[in-house]
Amino acid sequence: MTRADWIVIIIALACLPLVYVYNWRTQTQAIEATISGPDHYKRTIMLDHDQIIHVPGKLGDSVLEIRDGKIRFIKSPCTTKFCIHSGWLKYNGDVMACLPNGVYVQVSGGTRKYDAINF
Amino acid sequence: MPDPNTLSPMQITLSTTRDDHRIAWLTAAAVLIHLFESAIPTFLPGIKPGLANIVVITVLVMYGWRTAAWVSILRVLVGSLLLGTFLSPTFMMSLSGAVASVSMLWLASHLPGRGFSAVGYSLLAAMAHISGQFVCAYTLFIPHAGLWRLFPVLLSMAIVLGMINGIICLRLVNRLKATACKTS
Repeated sequence: MTRADWIVIIIALACLPLVYVYNWRTQTQAIEATISGPDHYKRTIMLDHDQIIHVPGKLGDSVLEIRDGKIRFIKSPCTTKFCIHSGWLKYNGDVMACLPNGVYVQVSGGTRKYDAINF
Repeated sequence: MPDPNTLSPMQITLSTTRDDHRIAWLTAAAVLIHLFESAIPTFLPGIKPGLANIVVITVLVMYGWRTAAWVSILRVLVGSLLLGTFLSPTFMMSLSGAVASVSMLWLASHLPGRGFSAVGYSLLAAMAHISGQFVCAYTLFIPHAGLWRLFPVLLSMAIVLGMINGIICLRLVNRLKATACKTS
């Protein structure tokens, strides 16, 4: 092993914590939510004022609550209630879904990006 | 009508150099390891020991950057053809990693002074490899900021595995040089 090897090893190990801090820092706050449901239902709602939204789904209405720039499911006709247990969404890019009811929510920071392989 | 016996059979002869044969043999070794490695299940998706890169680093130390670059790129090409992933996302990821690490190795091997041993090369190549793959994944497949949250974890693994591979290379190079001295 040469001196250059040791220098690279030390730099790599020293920079690693910085990479963790940089990539794991707090995300940016979302400013809008896109709600989609069955039958091409799609709505984009700003998160700046508090409200309750009813979304028609396959089983019945999913009820969403917007408060303090966050959004969550509060009522759902599904049996598992995973959607309610996902809790509040507030960071750009977060998603939650109620699969039995076919209701999807994604929050974003204004510019919409893709979240899967696109062609 | 011409007599078929007077016609000489058509022959195409490709002139190959010693270098070409060497590249072909070494690529075959790298492809074999690549195939073997693709059969090993990993405990975390995205983490691979990168054993085929041991061949690339060893070739770099023994025969120089040009041969190593050929072996690295051909390994990805032939490996993807044999595994049936040619031009698929898997192939793009593989290729971007190989291109990134080969470029990094070019920089590293042109350093003045004593330069790096196999450990330094392997570590740099592993880090360049994972970074190249992340850039490719982000630009082509998953343009979502959340992808980068995975980067530190995989970079840590790259550093650990890069160093382990480097140590294997170092021992391999020492043995190869010892046998070369004995036979000559």
